[in-house]
Amino acid sequence: MIHLEKISLNQLICLVVLTQVGVGVLSIPYNESYHSGFDSWISMLTGGIFAQTVILIIYQLGKRFEDRPLPQYISSITGKWVGAFLNFIFAAYFLESSLMVVVSYSDVLSRWVLFETPWSVLIFFSFAIAAYIASSGLRTIGSITQVIMVMFMVCLAIITISGIGKGDMRHFLPIGSHGPLSILKDSFPAFWSYAGYELLLFAFPFVQAQKKKDIFLAMSFANGFTTFFYVFVSVIVTYNFSEYQLKSVTEPLVFILRKFNWPILQSVDILFMTIWLSVTTVTVYVYLFLSARYLAYVKFKPITHHSFLVWMLALIGFVVGLWGYDRQVLLQFSNYHNKATIIVITILPTLLLLVALARGKGAER
Amino acid sequence: MPVLKAHRSLDSNELSLKQLLFHSSDFKFTDFMCGDRSYRLYYLTTMVEFNAVQEFIIGPLLRETDVSVRQAVSILDYSETNLLTEAAEALVQGKTVIQISGEAKFYLLGTILTKERSLNIPVNERVLRGSSQALIENLDTSLNLLRKKISSPDLVIKSFQVGRRSNTKVAVLYMDSLVNKEVLKEFTRRIDSLDIDYIEFPGFVSELVVDKKFSLFPRMLVTERPDRIRSNLMDGKIAILSEGSPDSLILPVSFWAFFQSPDDYQIGWLFGSAIRILRIICFILAISLPGFYVALVTFDPRIVPYEIVLTLQSSMQYISLPPLLEAILMLLILEIVREATVRLPSPIGQTIGVVGGIVIGTVVVQSNLISNMMVIVVALTGVASFIIPSYEMSNAARILTYPFILVAYILGLVGLELCFLFVLTHLARLNTMGIPYFYSGMTSNTIKDTVLRAPIKLLKKRPKESMAQENIRMKNPRWGR
Repeated sequence: MIHLEKISLNQLICLVVLTQVGVGVLSIPYNESYHSGFDSWISMLTGGIFAQTVILIIYQLGKRFEDRPLPQYISSITGKWVGAFLNFIFAAYFLESSLMVVVSYSDVLSRWVLFETPWSVLIFFSFAIAAYIASSGLRTIGSITQVIMVMFMVCLAIITISGIGKGDMRHFLPIGSHGPLSILKDSFPAFWSYAGYELLLFAFPFVQAQKKKDIFLAMSFANGFTTFFYVFVSVIVTYNFSEYQLKSVTEPLVFILRKFNWPILQSVDILFMTIWLSVTTVTVYVYLFLSARYLAYVKFKPITHHSFLVWMLALIGFVVGLWGYDRQVLLQFSNYHNKATIIVITILPTLLLLVALARGKGAER
Repeated sequence: MPVLKAHRSLDSNELSLKQLLFHSSDFKFTDFMCGDRSYRLYYLTTMVEFNAVQEFIIGPLLRETDVSVRQAVSILDYSETNLLTEAAEALVQGKTVIQISGEAKFYLLGTILTKERSLNIPVNERVLRGSSQALIENLDTSLNLLRKKISSPDLVIKSFQVGRRSNTKVAVLYMDSLVNKEVLKEFTRRIDSLDIDYIEFPGFVSELVVDKKFSLFPRMLVTERPDRIRSNLMDGKIAILSEGSPDSLILPVSFWAFFQSPDDYQIGWLFGSAIRILRIICFILAISLPGFYVALVTFDPRIVPYEIVLTLQSSMQYISLPPLLEAILMLLILEIVREATVRLPSPIGQTIGVVGGIVIGTVVVQSNLISNMMVIVVALTGVASFIIPSYEMSNAARILTYPFILVAYILGLVGLELCFLFVLTHLARLNTMGIPYFYSGMTSNTIKDTVLRAPIKLLKKRPKESMAQENIRMKNPRWGR
């Protein structure tokens, strides 16, 4: 029998881009324009640059332990008990992230597309399909994601065609008038929406590349593409809405899509949100997969039943997700999620890298 | 069967052979004398070619008195044995068995009678350009066709006997320098370990040898065209043929192989690519069009412009059935008509077309059972499923239509999306001996021979799906520079 484990660079790019892009795109740049207003696209750009820095850190960490994924080598950096605890933190964070995406997108769907479908049904189907995908191997997930990339491209085309219509270039002027400080302030919420590159912490040893540097280039390309996409969306939104309107429209993209009538399509937004479901599903299943993989290493002897873990986590996610119906809870939850993101995927890898450097673990053999 | 040695006496041998063959009525023998030798000739009347026996065995033996049997008879397939059991097996295979009185030895002479039909044009896989030879039931003739197409010692034919009782001959073909040895080893192990009464080829083999048992999608390509087998062998795949079946199996194949047809490579790459895209679109239509329509009319009529909604509404105005039932009912009618056409002899088959297509189609609409629009949708679905070159893949599409309709009725377009993701995942999780069944056809490497059919000079490498030992197919894309 032949066993294929590795994913190609192309698959890595698709995985990272689609994990980064998610529910957030509908509300861009609402959260990012509190301070920076119509300059929010600069904030998006800065956020992308921040993300690039974190990618560099993760890459350095991965390069030191190039034959194992993070959950395996984490205890050799921090020691057995702390390693297991950190694995648990990662697992919990990833489960929480996937829950966050499922709940917020189900919220979008129930407000815009499926008004009468019960909340539990939406959550159930979202988790079921994501768990089914996540219970396969990394390579299988990679090839599924490559196909979903096509759907993403369709979405990009829909946004482009609908967005470049009636608008006003003067909405951007004068560029940078909000001052660097407020732009920088808003690049933090922007930075959160770039989460997804932490996949590399796990995937590093499974990428098929001739040189390790290619992995970094692929990651940078993926992040660059996401940055381009986010900036592109915020530019389109700013082109269509003035700053005054931006403050009151929470999901500007939906309105842009809705006002554009194609000859054979009345409301593109419904079609868009349906197709976009597959893109958010990528985020859900990648996080579910990661969560299960990290959880497998919580015990000192790895748990081998990957698909069992995935289905259990999905079940937990489904039960917790039933409470997400209340939008108040959702907002609080998302607030907490953003803080967790900063800690888990930025501060933790940095600390790990510093400790590994200080204790001289990995690499330089 | 215990091993029995031959006796010296003719009569006791005859008795033993009769017992070994359980007094089968077609077991006959004849005696003749020539000089001082007396011969006894055993055969099965149903299995030997009488002309050959008379002309090349009895004739020479009567003429030449003092030479050995080997020197006298002019038969290529010649062997000797002193075992009764081996003689009995030879008889069953259609050989003539001779014994000379006083010798404890049998001469086995190949005189098999083969009844075969003449070569025919492919019935199930028609093409406009390309060869019109199809394999036939006779294994040797089929192998002969293939050897002629690939005259290279690199083409290896390995024979297996499958079926504990039927001993069916199965031939496995591959190009030795191309085939992936791991796959070949695993496949050989699996086919060797089959322990079953008899096999029905290709159905039994394709079901018994594949990895994961439950899937709607065919994991092996069934074909009756030698040229298709050749192109697959040249990609480093394995072909399996069997005595008694005009079909052959090819493995390991990917999902995309089911959308390739031999004439894609004959009609120029632009048109070839266009046809490929058409087939893939039709596959998607065949599984999702009724579901899409149901989702549209029950959940999201908002998507369609007002004018089209009016058309839809006017066609659905007097229909009392819900769209779900309407769709399933109409699809069932289509399936019934389709199955009836397959089973009926062709002269009556046309009647079904008239009764099924025109009468049912028209009346069902006129009596307000099913809307006009639904008839169009279902008809399009049916025709779309015919375009897929593989019958097995088109069957998969036929069945998938129903769950798609059901989920679309529950969750609308979102449900359709979920169904697609489910099928996609199912496909991506399948593998043949560890080789992935499905991969994205959209990357720069794979798009050349999956979604599109790139110009031949760009197809320099073999598709990665067979994991051939050697990847380069073409070395000088232009006529030498």
